[in-house]
Amino acid sequence: MNVPSNKLKRPLEPKKVIGITVVLLAALVATIILSLLLGTVNITFRELRQVLFESREGSASLIVLKIRLPRIMLAGLSGFSLSLGGLIFQAILRNPLADPFILGVSSGAAFGAVLAIMCGLGFALGVPLFSFAGALLTIGIVWAMGRGRVGMESSTIILAGVIINAFFTSVIMFFIAISSDDRLHTMLFWLYGDLSQSRYGQSAMIAPFVIIGFVALYGFSRHLNIMTSGHEAALQMGVDVKRVKGVCFIIVSLLMGLVVSLSGLIGFVGLIVPHLARMALGTDHRLLMPVSALGGAIFLIAADTVARTIMAPSELPVGVVTAFLGAPFFIYLLKVRGSRWGRS
Amino acid sequence: MGPILKIEKVAFRYVSEWVLDGIDLEVNRGEVVGILGPNGSGKSTLLRVIEGLCEPERGNVFVKGTDISKLSRVSLSREVAMVQQENHFSFSFSVLEVVLMGRFPYLGNFQFEGEEDIEVARKAMTATSTLSLSGRLINELSGGEKQRVLLARALTQEPSIILLDEPTAFLDLSYKKEIFDLISSLSRQTGVSALIVTHDIDLAARYCNRLLMLRDGRLHASGLPVEVLNAANIEAIFGCKVIVDINPVSGSPRVSLI
Repeated sequence: MNVPSNKLKRPLEPKKVIGITVVLLAALVATIILSLLLGTVNITFRELRQVLFESREGSASLIVLKIRLPRIMLAGLSGFSLSLGGLIFQAILRNPLADPFILGVSSGAAFGAVLAIMCGLGFALGVPLFSFAGALLTIGIVWAMGRGRVGMESSTIILAGVIINAFFTSVIMFFIAISSDDRLHTMLFWLYGDLSQSRYGQSAMIAPFVIIGFVALYGFSRHLNIMTSGHEAALQMGVDVKRVKGVCFIIVSLLMGLVVSLSGLIGFVGLIVPHLARMALGTDHRLLMPVSALGGAIFLIAADTVARTIMAPSELPVGVVTAFLGAPFFIYLLKVRGSRWGRS
Repeated sequence: MGPILKIEKVAFRYVSEWVLDGIDLEVNRGEVVGILGPNGSGKSTLLRVIEGLCEPERGNVFVKGTDISKLSRVSLSREVAMVQQENHFSFSFSVLEVVLMGRFPYLGNFQFEGEEDIEVARKAMTATSTLSLSGRLINELSGGEKQRVLLARALTQEPSIILLDEPTAFLDLSYKKEIFDLISSLSRQTGVSALIVTHDIDLAARYCNRLLMLRDGRLHASGLPVEVLNAANIEAIFGCKVIVDINPVSGSPRVSLI
């Protein structure tokens, strides 16, 4: 055996996590500014400064503060949650293809939301609550399908998702078929992920959940590292696997329920962003969590900006943009990278 | 000082048939004990009971005098570590990251590894000759290297006893010897005890202080290798005719099929 230097370096320092988080926060701010400027009507940087710092009234102020900013905030919070949810699922199911959308958790949440809408419940409480229940139910189904196996095989994950998605989509289509015409457009648009109706109230409602959820999940980051190497191995190292799984599933369902009830079905964010983060930075969840979450926020704000500018003055649902990018990425992951994950 | 591990009349069943039926066992500090037996004789289940993964229906397991049913997972994992037969990593961690996972029971939820944790890992990696692998990815290692890394991870838990479930199952002869060499020298140097389930009878005969033979969930024989390894016992548990003689170099019993 060759003897290397006896000095081992800590694989991850807290200051590295903080440093990278700060860089990403700066990137997030830059993305927000860019997104505020771009649109059907372009705002100049000067106008933006006047609106933000001199509270100048006018059409620029209306566009920036009443239309674009609330939308960006909701996009950011949604992207943050979707990406974080994907990362957590991937760790617990031990498969990097596990994304809330692919697994059918999002459509389960959408089913709950549509059911609540049909029952005449409001968007303030009933819809998010039903949506949360739908997400939790779906996670239960996915979990039951993969029970007792050594890591969930990609094919099982995809099959589970296909079946769950097909089922909930058919139920949703049924609801749509029996609903009145005037609501059809809104409902369909919402299903494909629509952020155009964003209001500050929505962001204010989900922000506390997102922040508390993130902190709670971050407390489990080392648990998740170990759980990716097998649940039995994790038990042997002292991880209370059942509790970690239960708490993570509830928090992620709650976030998915909230996001889906407000922004509809936006897919692939939880697949693309955590994967890129893993390729760049390795597999330690203490670093991956902030990076994936902030990366998800940046990604969805950018995707939504594209959705509303690419065919201006018409708009695309943002879910169309993410799926357009995400589906080829998914195929690439499946075919090219095979079963090797993490740093290339 | 009492035994590190004490098992009293342990019985366990998954459904109706007893997989373990009245097992008694004591392992002292620094002892290396081998468990032999045919497939399905309850060897792996015995390890799972000691790990607290299966709760025995009857009987008790004591680690350093404490009943493990009264210990939390974290407390138990500071005393008992395990090296599994096969470990699949879905995500590619570096070797050092894998070894440091063993520090889990010593760190708080929001805590990062400190200098002392690195020092424990360094010692474990030196002992298992894996220090030079520290920057490599776990998925890229050979079977023997990976097993040594997992042994290092078990050592960083600073346990009193390490359970090994067929640690040499997929290894070639030289790696098998290396793993057994390593375990016996570790137990001598650090005082850690080891309980090894294995099918490598000759290696077990040479490296284990004591051997147990399991058949249908019961203890068929136990004692020093020379006492336990005889043609009658081996035929009784494995159903094969063998001759047992003495290896002229090592002086330990040697089993050959007829």
